[in-house]
Parts: sequence; structure tokens; C-alpha cells
Amino acid sequence: MTGRGGTLAVYVLLAAVAFALWRLGLALWSVLEAGLLAMTPLALAAVGECLNEKAGVVNIGLEGIFLLSAVTGVWTAEAFGSGAVGLVGGALTGALLGLGLGALSVYGRADQVIAGMGLNIAALGLVPFLLIGLWAFPGIHLFAPELTVPRLHTPLVQISPVTILAVLVALGAHLVLHRTVLGFRIRAVGEAPEAADASGIRVERLRLFTSTLGGALAGVAGAFLPLGWFGGLVKEISAGRGFIALGCVVFAGLEPLLALGAAFLFGFAEGVAFAVAITPGVKERVPFYFVNMLPYVTTLLVVTVAIGQRRFPRTVGRPYARE
Amino acid sequence: MTRTLRVEMRAIHKVYADGTIALRGVDFRIGQQEIVGLLGENGAGKSTLMKILSGFVRPTRGEILVDGVPRRFGSPADALRVGIGMVHQTFTLVPVYSALENILLGQEATGPLRPPQWRGMRRRIEQLMEETGLTVPLDAPVETLPVGVQQRVEILKVLSRGTSILILDEPTSALTPREVTDLFAFLRGLKARGSAIVFITHKLREVLEIADRVVVLRAGQVTGERSSADATPEMLAEMMVGRAVVPRISRLFRTPGRPVLEVRSLGVLSDRGTLAVRDLSFEVREGEVFGIAGVEGNGQSELVQALTGLRPAASGEVLLHGAPVLFLSPLELYRRGMSHIPEDRTRFGLALEFDVAENSLLGRQAEPAFVGPLGRLRWDRVLRYAAELVDRFQIHTPGLRVPVRSLSGGNQQRLVVGRELSKRPTLVVAVHPTRGLDVASTAYIRELLVRMRDEGGAVLLVSADLDEVLELSDRIAVMYEGRFVGVGTTERWSREAIGMMMGGIVPHGVQDAAVRPVHR
Amino acid sequence: MPRFARSIVDSATALLVGLVCGGVLMRAFGYQPMAAYRALVVGAFGSVPDLLETLAFATPLALTALTFSVGVRAGLFNIGAEGQVYVGALGAAFVGGSVLLPPGAHLVAVTCAAMACGAAWALLPALLRIWRGVHEVISTIMANWIAFFLTTYVAVTFLGEPGRAERTRPVWPTARFPVLTEDASLTAVAFVALGLCLLVYTYLWGTRAGYELRLVGSNPDAARYAGVRTRRVVVASFLLGGMSAGLAGGSQVFGRPPAWSLYATLGNVATLGFDGIGVALVGRNHPLGGLLSAILFGALQHGGRYMEYQAGVVSELVRAITGLVVVALAVPELWRLIWRRR
Repeated sequence: MTGRGGTLAVYVLLAAVAFALWRLGLALWSVLEAGLLAMTPLALAAVGECLNEKAGVVNIGLEGIFLLSAVTGVWTAEAFGSGAVGLVGGALTGALLGLGLGALSVYGRADQVIAGMGLNIAALGLVPFLLIGLWAFPGIHLFAPELTVPRLHTPLVQISPVTILAVLVALGAHLVLHRTVLGFRIRAVGEAPEAADASGIRVERLRLFTSTLGGALAGVAGAFLPLGWFGGLVKEISAGRGFIALGCVVFAGLEPLLALGAAFLFGFAEGVAFAVAITPGVKERVPFYFVNMLPYVTTLLVVTVAIGQRRFPRTVGRPYARE
Repeated sequence: MTRTLRVEMRAIHKVYADGTIALRGVDFRIGQQEIVGLLGENGAGKSTLMKILSGFVRPTRGEILVDGVPRRFGSPADALRVGIGMVHQTFTLVPVYSALENILLGQEATGPLRPPQWRGMRRRIEQLMEETGLTVPLDAPVETLPVGVQQRVEILKVLSRGTSILILDEPTSALTPREVTDLFAFLRGLKARGSAIVFITHKLREVLEIADRVVVLRAGQVTGERSSADATPEMLAEMMVGRAVVPRISRLFRTPGRPVLEVRSLGVLSDRGTLAVRDLSFEVREGEVFGIAGVEGNGQSELVQALTGLRPAASGEVLLHGAPVLFLSPLELYRRGMSHIPEDRTRFGLALEFDVAENSLLGRQAEPAFVGPLGRLRWDRVLRYAAELVDRFQIHTPGLRVPVRSLSGGNQQRLVVGRELSKRPTLVVAVHPTRGLDVASTAYIRELLVRMRDEGGAVLLVSADLDEVLELSDRIAVMYEGRFVGVGTTERWSREAIGMMMGGIVPHGVQDAAVRPVHR
Repeated sequence: MPRFARSIVDSATALLVGLVCGGVLMRAFGYQPMAAYRALVVGAFGSVPDLLETLAFATPLALTALTFSVGVRAGLFNIGAEGQVYVGALGAAFVGGSVLLPPGAHLVAVTCAAMACGAAWALLPALLRIWRGVHEVISTIMANWIAFFLTTYVAVTFLGEPGRAERTRPVWPTARFPVLTEDASLTAVAFVALGLCLLVYTYLWGTRAGYELRLVGSNPDAARYAGVRTRRVVVASFLLGGMSAGLAGGSQVFGRPPAWSLYATLGNVATLGFDGIGVALVGRNHPLGGLLSAILFGALQHGGRYMEYQAGVVSELVRAITGLVVVALAVPELWRLIWRRR
């Protein structure tokens, strides 16, 4: 099974699933709407991580960033009375975490995968702690509906402005990576940091930059989950989405536009799951457990099928040592 | 002739984080329009000294003055700014980028969010190529270019920064003799146009040919300095190693026996899918050393990997003691009597985290002698075996349970060689067996290989060190672009003839004075 | 400094970093760190029953740590213990609660079922890795989530306790490991766990297969040179890890009173896998080091409950501390950066 044919097959499979469910009585526009919402956080985080990995740094702590920026995003929104400011708060949290991980990798020569995993574990523990510490209520926090980021109404679907932002970010990242000096240097640093170093490029600074930027984007994504989509904050708000974003990155071979496509694919799967769960007539006939599995199974399928063709920068995950 | 002083390095010390002392108070000067040869064997400190000058490494103590001004370099960029640039032994090129892109990197001349200035750079480089006579194709990914051309890209890259002090680290190690001549012509031209050049090497003849002045380093100190007009190879060699070199390895007179290894029309693909070994046929017989000479990168690695079970072959056949062995695993080959001393011991021959005893087991961990029922390892026997190895091959180690990474290169290689030879093979494939080793270990290991030959074993030697091949081999072949350009006994050709063959030129009945004959 | 001592210093430094950060967090929200930590220690070791309860918490952690450690030793990043734990618990709940067997055989059967289920769930990422080169970080995480939904589905739909939907049918008494004392939930399954750790230790350093596994993790090129079949090693590592995690999950069903069953929310087996990563790292990825480390983390977990009761600090902060310890351990020679300035 070639990569191209295989990914096409997965798209076809999903379309078939959607068709079957439509026959069962599912409203396809609501699937699309939910799908776009689900795509948004995945796309933002995946595009950021694409840039990061192009420079040779790996951040698997995306899940942890999602969790923590969800909390800080809501807190910031409440403090300033605006959902949009909440998103900025999330971005700052993510940037800080990205910077921290980046510094550990670049200067501390840390094992990037372990450090990222540590962040994920820490976040799992911090979120319940913060829920009590900030709002004195365990497990869940509901905030005023005015704080959610308002959606734009089009005749067919409601779209969140953050979704549009995600698409623009993906486009922007593609342009930067392939048409600017910055992207030219990022790619060089990922392929051959010694060469970049010898040419006078500050390898460490560039990697810190991509790490911070990737973290910021993941932070927006994390804050988007409660503020732009769910309307409430729960302990397990990210449900493994950080790792699905990593799956997007792998599938895309680190290309931002392909990552957007992958995010749409997974988002669509989630949209189907969501729609099934709320549509009367359908939800009784399909056990919600299996539908909930759909995004994860899709990720697994896609990554398995697509991975053979991908080429990654030579030094992904390895710290650069000059001496 | 008195020259203006361009660079002065005073009392340079360098101690690395793990305690190794690379440089102990070295003084070094470079004058205007001068080619200085920096001579020394592996580990003498030559590269370290120049890496300090070019900003890659920071000195522990000492000062650097450039054109009379004291300088401190925090990064290579700082050194480039005052006109000092270095071309390294291992190239610092981005493999997937073209020559143009590689040279452009770091001097794109616009802001980060703008497109790089391709056209301006292309014009500049074309002009530079005209001035210097170095031409390279500008648009192919450099990883597809031959090593000699890649080196030219490196040089152009450094020159395009306006360097007036050029440092070259072992530039001829991967070049054919023809390319070396071209390089020397280019350097002389560069010197005439006002540059100063430092030429790091361990090759005596070359340094005398190209340099005006030679500085010799040994174990981190300057042991001598001569103008090349006053120096002889013997003098330099003595400064380099501290005693008369050229150990002659005596050997038994014997006629070779039956073929142990027969290679017929072997074809092997490289990682890139091109044919690295083309239709190669030869044999290695009992009681002989068959040496393959040639510049690295002509298919030797792929040949060895195919013979030792680490890479599949595309065509042909290989017989070991008459039986076909092409797709067998290394373990199987070992059972049939083949032993392999790999070209990169830290990559293939040792597990650096494991201790000496565990490394002595490498490759032998399936043998009934060491493994009991239920797969249990017999550590008492392993330890006894390891102790024997340490004793027999004089491996200096604090103990058997010490991680092998704390041993010196020479002792690591002794462990590998000892382990491979104690497997009592009938065929040893030895690749660059003494690369990077101290003189004592080098001599010792070469002795071992000749002893093995004396006792009737067959040795296939692959080495880029021509001296080594000539010293050890009974027959030699020169490998070029996947083929043997010539196969014959060691006395058949002169050194120059072999050099030409390494460059791909078959000499037409050239019979100069015979190569120094091997003792029989 | 000898290697052994250096490892301990590394772990101790990381632990200190985690505890200090935890203390800072507590301060920031108005809690008293010293009171909280004192409660932690008292809760974990203050009395004999508490000590035994700590060991009860430590038992599954030592096993999930083994999963991660065996993976790292083979050069893999197997973080699929979460899912393997769920599936192992499911297998245990099935064989223990729905099948009737004579006393000795039932114990053996239920233990084997747990280990087999865990190993089977680990097989998928293993095969994906050797057949398609899929990186195990992604495949194991996806497998974890799929296992979560699959296990909840099967547990609720088929194995639920009649009348009480929030857990599976408690296993038959013949499938329960003997409880060691009245006032703690420690059972003889701890000995099985100990045995497995010792077995893995012997395997890794005392057998040819174990040597080859460690060789692949240390230097895959040298392993090829030595004729090691890498694919077999990958599968062996995953299977061992899965077995261990499966036992961890099963131990909460047939080795942990008073529930003797699997919660429908998977609450009594959740996070064991992730916590195991921290335990393994602090234990330097060594089966025996993991045992000691598990006791430490078991203390954190058991003591954490008392800490919440006594000092009001949410017990999940212990997990946050674990995560910070893992981050600290990611930095090689952390102690050198902190204690010495070179």
C-alpha cells in the first residue's frame, strides 16, 4: 500500500462512514461544524510543532500545554472579562512552557522526549490542583457564557474566528518555511546544525524561537478548548488531543499545509463522533464507546499507512553540541 | 623575508570538560601571504588549535591577536568577521541544499521575513569562481556531488565571507592525487593574491611541497618549527613522533594456499541507490594479506558490508571455503570462520555503555561455551575469557567491569581486534584497523595481522592509508569507483603509479623504481 | 564517583527539585508546604498498617515501571502501560468473576489471564513498529485511549455487577490473593510482583536474550554486527512490558480489597501506567531500582491522601510533583548543573 493510495483510502473510508451515518439520520452540516471546531486546536498545535521539528526540536509535551493553557486561559478570561484575552493568556502560558522545554533541550541537553512526557504527567496533576486552588471546586469549572469566543454565523455552519486563524497560521507557516530567510535557516538548522553554526547562525536561539512559537500556538489551541468550543472546563479537557496533533505532524511529514489537512481529517472523525452522540435515533443504535474511539483509531490508521514515505530532518530530537 | 604578522596566538591552553588536555601552552604565528603547515599525528592538537582560532572552540587560557588587536571569539561568526575562516575535515554543508544555498546560508542579506537574495549571491559566486578558478555546479544538492567538489563548495563558502586567513584541516584526505595538485595550484594563487593559509596535515611529503614554513605539534605542544626549505621528511617525522618511524614488519616466506574467499562479479548498491561496487572479482588465499587501497568513498565500505553480512548485495556471488555466503547473517559468517574488524569501532564494534567483559562477548553471545541451559549466560566463563583477552592483547583497563567508553581509542581497538582474532577465524576482514590510534597500538595491531597471515590465515585489508597497505600486503588492489583499477603483487608498481590508479588513471606499462619491497 | 552512586545522586537531585517546586506551588495558593509534607510522611509510614498500605500502592507501580524500563533498555519508548493495564484488569475481571475454577488453579488462571491480555495489547504497537516503522509514542498513546473505551464498554456491558453498574462483578473468592493483614489492603500478589521484577532482572543480565535486548538499546549497529535479530528483541520487549502492565492491572482486581473488581470508570487502574514512567526513571530504568522507587512513589500516593485530609492539598499534586521529577531527570547530570558551576 503506497502512502498516497493509503491516505486516499482512509479519506474514502471516512466518507463511507459519514454516508452510512447520514443514512441513519445524521445531519451532515452539524458534523462539519463540529469537525471544524475539532480541527482548530489540532491544526494550531500541529503547525507549531511542524516548525519546531523542522528546526530539529521535538516537543511531545503538547498535551501538557493544552491542559495548562486551558486553565490559565479561562482564568485570564475571567480576570479581564473577555474570551479573546483568555486566548492570549493561553498563548502566553504555552509560550512560556515551550520556552522552558526548549531551554532544557538546548542548554541542558535534556532528553526531549522524556522532558515532554514529564510535562504531560505534571499537567495531569496540576490541573485538578489548580481547579481547587483557583475556583475551590474539584473536577469542573463552568464560566459565564459571555466569555466564550463568539462564532461567526454563515448560512450553513457556524465558524469560530479561531478556526479561520488556524487556517491562516497554516498558510503563513508554509510561506515562512519555504519562501523566507527565516524558514531557510530553520530547515538548515534541523538538517545540519553544524553547517548552520559554521555559517554564523545562532542555532540555539533559533531553536528556542521555534520552541516558544510552537508552544504559543499550542497554548492558543489549549485555551480554545474551553473558551471557543466546550464552554466549560473539566479535568480531562484535552483527552489526548495533544498526541493526536503529534500524529498530524508525523502524517504531514512536517509540512504545515498537510498538517492542516490531517487536522481536518481527525477533526472530521471527532465531528462524526460528536454528532452521533447527540442525534436522536442514531445514538441509540451505535454504542458511543466505539464512536469515541474513532479519532484514535483514525490516527493510528493514518500514521501507520503514511509513515513509510516521510523524511524527517536528520537531527530531530538530538541536542547540538559544538565541542 | 620578513612578513607582516597577521595572527599571533600566545600560550594557548585547552583542557576539555572530561579532563583531557589538548593543548599545553602553544604559540603560533601566521604571516601575511604565507602558507604555514601544521603537522602532527592524530591527537596532537592541530585541529583543536585551529578550531580555537576560527571560533569553534574557546581556549582555557591564552590570547589571540589578529592584526595586532586582541580578540575573543564567542562563535565562528566572530572569527569570520575578522576574516578568519576554516574548512573542516568533515564538511559543514547541509546535504539537501545546493551549493548556492549552502554558500548563501548565513549571509542572505535581507530580513528574516523576506525571501533570500538568490540572484545577487549567484552573481557574486560566479565572479568568485572566475577569480579563483574553482568551479562547482551551483544547483545540485551537495550530497550528490563527489567529495572533491564538495570541498570546493566549502572553500568557496568560506572565501565568500571575505576571509583573508584560510584554514584547511586535512584537506587532501579524501582527494585523488590529481585533485590534490589542483588544490595546491589554487592555494598558491590565493597566496599570491594576498591571503594567509594554514594547512593542517599529517602527510610529510605534502606539507613540504605546499608550505613555506612547517610547525610540528606533538601531544599538545610545539616540538619544532622549520622553513620547508630547511626541512627533510626524516626531521619532520622525528619531531612528529619523537623517534625514527617506519617500523618494518618482517614476515615468513610462504606461498599462499587455497582460496579462502572468492568474490565473483559482485555488485552492491549504495544507500542512494547507485552502484557502489561494480562487477568485482577477486580472491584471498590462505597465508596472504590482500590489501585494498584507494581513497575512501569508492565503494570500499559497501564492499565490506556486503561481505560481512551487513548489507545485501545486488548481484554476483561470494564463496567462503567454497560455500556461497552472500545473504548470511554476521553470526552465520562467524560460524564459518569469518571475523570482521569494523571501520568504525564505536559504531559497529563496541557498545560503549557496556563494560569490558560484556563487550568481549559481542558476537559470541550465542556460543554454547558461554551460554548454558535456558539461555543462561555463564558469566564465570565470560569473565575468564575477558581476562585472557586483556592479558594477551595488553589492553590497559582499570578492570573488567569498567564501561568501555572510558578506555582510550587504542585500547578499545585492541579489545576489538583481540576479540576478533581470538575467534580463530580463517579469514579476517580488517577495515582501517589502525585509524586514529597511537603509534604503539598501530604497530602492535599491524604485527598481529601479519602473524595471523604467517600462521596460515587469510587477511583482507581495506585501508585509506597507503603506507599501511603497502607495509602489510602481499598483493594489493586499487579501488576506484567501485572497480579494481589494478591488482598485483606489492612490488609491481611505484608509489606514483598507485597514486594515479587511486585517481582512476591506469598507468600504461609504467615501471618506475620498484616500491620498497616487503621483507620476505 | 562510581556509576552507581552517580545514579542515586541524579535521582535524589531530581526528587528534591520536584519537592521544592511542589512546595512553591503550595505556597502560591496559600497552603503550608511543611505541614503538607509532614502529613505526607506520616500518612505513608506513620504506622504499620500505613506502611503496608504504601507497599500495596507500590506493587502495581513497580510493575508498570518495569514496562517502561524494559522498553528503554531495548531503545524503545513504550508508554502503553496505561492501556495494557486496563486490558489486563479486564481479563482478570472476566476470568476471576465469570468463570469458576478450583482454588489453586483459579489464582493461576486469573494471573495468567491478566498477563496474557496485557501482552496481547502490547503486541499491536510492537508489530506496527517493526512492520511500518510507526513510532511507539504515537501508537501506544492511541492504543491507550482505544483500550480505555474498549475496556469500559466490555466492563459495563458484559461484566457489570448485577444491580450495581459502577463496577464489575467482584471476583470469586477462589480468585483472590490472600490478604496479608486485616488493616491494610496488601495481598500476596505483592510477592508475585516482586518475583516478576527479579525474573526480569535475571533475564536482562543473566541470559543471552536479555544481553541482546540491552545491546539493541545501547547500540543498534553493534547489535546488527553481532547478529542480533532486532525485530525479535522489539517484540520481546513489548511483550514483557505488556505482561508486566497486565499483571499490574490484574493486581487491582484480584489482589486489592475491598473492591476485588474493576470500576466502570477504571478509577482503580487509571494513571498507573503514566506514573510508572516516573517510577522507572527515578529507578534508573533498572528492575530492582524500580522496586525501591515504587515504594517511594507508593508513599507519595498513600501519604498524599492523608495530606489532602490533613493539610487540604489536593492529592493530585503528587502527580504534578512526579511530572516535575521526570522533567528534572530528563536533564543529564542535573546535579552537576545545580551543585557545581563549571
